[in-house]
Amino acid sequence: MRPIWSKIYEEIEGELAGTRGFCPYHPSHFRNQDCTFCYCPFYPCNDQDLGEVTKSRKIGKIWNCTYCNFIHRRDVAAYVHGRLRESQISGPEDPALRELFEETKTKFHRKGKAVMVLGATSDAGKSVIVTAICRILNDRGYSVTPFKSQNMSLNSRVTHEGHEISMIQDLQARAAGVSRPSFRINPILMKPKGDGMSQVILEGVPAGDYTSAGYYSDFVPGPGTNVLRKSIDFLQSRYDFVVMEGAGSPAEINIYDSDIANMRAAEAADADCILVVNVEWGGSYAYAVGTLDLLHPKDRERVKAIMLNNLKGEVSGMRAAADDIERITGIPVMGIIPHLDFDLPKEDSESFRGVKTLGRGRTVVVVPKFPRISNFTDLDPLLHEDVTVRFVSSTDEMEGAAAVVLPGTKSTISDLEWLKATGIADRIVSLKGKVPILGICGGYQMMGRTLSDPFGTEGGPSESEGLGLFDMETEWPESGKKTELFEGTYIPTGDRITGYEIHSGVSKSYEAPMFKTQRYTEGSLRADEMLFGTYVHGLFDKPCFRRHFLSEAGCALAEEAVDHDEHIEKNIDKLAHGVMNAMDMEIFNRVFSEESP
Amino acid sequence: MRIMFLGTSSNSGKTTVAAMMCRYAAIQGVSAAPFKASNLSSSWYITESGAPIGIGQAFQAVASGVIPEADMNPILLRPEKGGVARYLKGRLRDMSDETAVSEALASFDSLSGRYGLVVCEGSGSPVELNLSGSDIANMRMVRERSIPTIIVGDIERGGVFAAIYGTWKLIPEEDREYLQGFVINRFRGDVSVLYPGIEELESMTGMRCFGVIPYMDLRVPEEDTSESKVSCQEGLRSLEDLLLACKDSVDLNGMLRISGA
Repeated sequence: MRPIWSKIYEEIEGELAGTRGFCPYHPSHFRNQDCTFCYCPFYPCNDQDLGEVTKSRKIGKIWNCTYCNFIHRRDVAAYVHGRLRESQISGPEDPALRELFEETKTKFHRKGKAVMVLGATSDAGKSVIVTAICRILNDRGYSVTPFKSQNMSLNSRVTHEGHEISMIQDLQARAAGVSRPSFRINPILMKPKGDGMSQVILEGVPAGDYTSAGYYSDFVPGPGTNVLRKSIDFLQSRYDFVVMEGAGSPAEINIYDSDIANMRAAEAADADCILVVNVEWGGSYAYAVGTLDLLHPKDRERVKAIMLNNLKGEVSGMRAAADDIERITGIPVMGIIPHLDFDLPKEDSESFRGVKTLGRGRTVVVVPKFPRISNFTDLDPLLHEDVTVRFVSSTDEMEGAAAVVLPGTKSTISDLEWLKATGIADRIVSLKGKVPILGICGGYQMMGRTLSDPFGTEGGPSESEGLGLFDMETEWPESGKKTELFEGTYIPTGDRITGYEIHSGVSKSYEAPMFKTQRYTEGSLRADEMLFGTYVHGLFDKPCFRRHFLSEAGCALAEEAVDHDEHIEKNIDKLAHGVMNAMDMEIFNRVFSEESP
Repeated sequence: MRIMFLGTSSNSGKTTVAAMMCRYAAIQGVSAAPFKASNLSSSWYITESGAPIGIGQAFQAVASGVIPEADMNPILLRPEKGGVARYLKGRLRDMSDETAVSEALASFDSLSGRYGLVVCEGSGSPVELNLSGSDIANMRMVRERSIPTIIVGDIERGGVFAAIYGTWKLIPEEDREYLQGFVINRFRGDVSVLYPGIEELESMTGMRCFGVIPYMDLRVPEEDTSESKVSCQEGLRSLEDLLLACKDSVDLNGMLRISGA
């Protein structure tokens, strides 16, 4: 008998546990899960609908239940608990246990309901609506997952398995209460490289560079279509709801049949759809009607509701238009969502393009706006203090800088050349010792003496001299990319830091390190010259390093040391409430009824 | 001779496309006057008579090399406490919609009599249901003066085919005869990927595609900022660059032809 059965006997003897939010391991799978069974009595069920065989770091292959929520459903936990109590099942080898599993699965397991949020345009507010819906459904106790088959974004995150996914799907997973999202929630991530090419991340790992035309002719018919099916099946068999997000408009008739981000994904999941229209710019009526009319008839049938988003005036003024839309399209308007006030990381690089400053504080943190800037959500937590983040493209914008942050980039050496050409590089070097300077990832690499990319990993082969702020060399190996969650301590203060690393360049630094983990040290630090460099993204999320860095910049720190993760959590709730209040819940409940279509 | 540019939304690029038309006509030796019946703007240009007009029309006039005048934008709307105030050629006038229409038509006719071509610009989307009154600048003008019309769609946010189709669809059938074609604005990338969509849209609506305008970082006078930082002369340089970039992709000559010139 396996030792874990002694625990299971205790679970059977005990009462139904419900959600145990106080447990240090909660939520091991999803927020609001039922914790009656911490140890699953059916392990290993070897059922492909629920788990999978994976390689373990220690002991070869194991049965992996990371993404199985089955035993944590309230109805399943209650049923299995009752049946185990009343039956005389002796232990893991008892054939009756297998029978009970099969019986429970037949009774409770079904494909999750998929609902897709489409937008009439990009920037319609799809991702925000998906975030809100994930939270609303999870608050009701459901296991929920977001999904976007294909996302183009410069901001990415790393999963606990070391896969790269888009920042926004990671955020949506947080809203859904999923503690450890899988790469399957965003199997295709396209990272624009700035020259008409995008690096395609497939199932969390780099899979080559494509032009837009090449992507549709070569990638979509093969790997793209495959992965779509696989990801959706995986998620639908494990979650009550799969809340899918489309990309751009689903009515791009020039690429309609190869658009795996919209109606083809909806079809694969047999999803009902909600169309979101941003009413801010006017013409929303034409956008709604035009989008619906250009869908193929069988696709149009999937659209069960329309949401009018981002209204800046009175809702009553929009009601008549909403009635007209219902009358003409025959589809109910599920909500007229006002322009909501919440603070969450933003998805779109389009909307980022025009951004010059963030925040209105007195301490100016200057950030070079690299042409290929990436992971710039790193900077968001600075706004919890008295800070203005100023993105600069020329030296005259650097006046009054109290600190400099060199952010991440998709292409370090070419952005370094840009930094030199604009004169910003020299200006930064001249600020050495006067204001704190921090480089993150690509920005860190630039701070060293030399950078060498002999295989052209990030563009054509090239070598460059860095800013020379650190005694450090960076080289890009022929292949390999580090994508890993990071947990360590900031050496000068001993405070804990969490974050993640995504980079293919490797640096050899002769400086004192910034962080230490259990296994290694990371980063470079010259405390007397206020020079900081690290590969760790997200290092401003926890207040300790953020406040240390900013106090060096002479910033008056806010009274409250805000934890950025908690801030995000609060704002997800705020958003979800705002959306829920503006929604016709009767229509919402109809669309999100558990019955599969 | 007259032509109208209507947008699928605000900020779709009507002003710039109309300015291109003005400039092109001027180069071809056609004297062109810009016209926008009514304008809700916060940036004004003061004409010689002292009456303000929208900065967009002033810019278009400069583009065609003519002197900006009050008739080019007879009605100004100014958001004020308790609603929107209407100004007629610089004077606050409490007038009915019908009076506004006849004043606008009078201005149009005056320009039409003095210039070879009147290049009209609409306001917002012509099929907005919840904003009454904006029609004066859009389909009402088109109907009253039978103006050949081109729809300007913005592809930057995506959904441009849907926007153009939806706009066409929601314009009453009896008015669709004025809709001669469309233009796709702010496109990035290889234009050939659009062709299948353009052809489909053409065959669905019977409208012709007059071109695809590439995205450019333009420095032209903006209507929606309270401080217009870019002068008309400065804007002209950007406009010249844009015209050059559109040399092969936009059929300005075709537009001039449908205007009756």
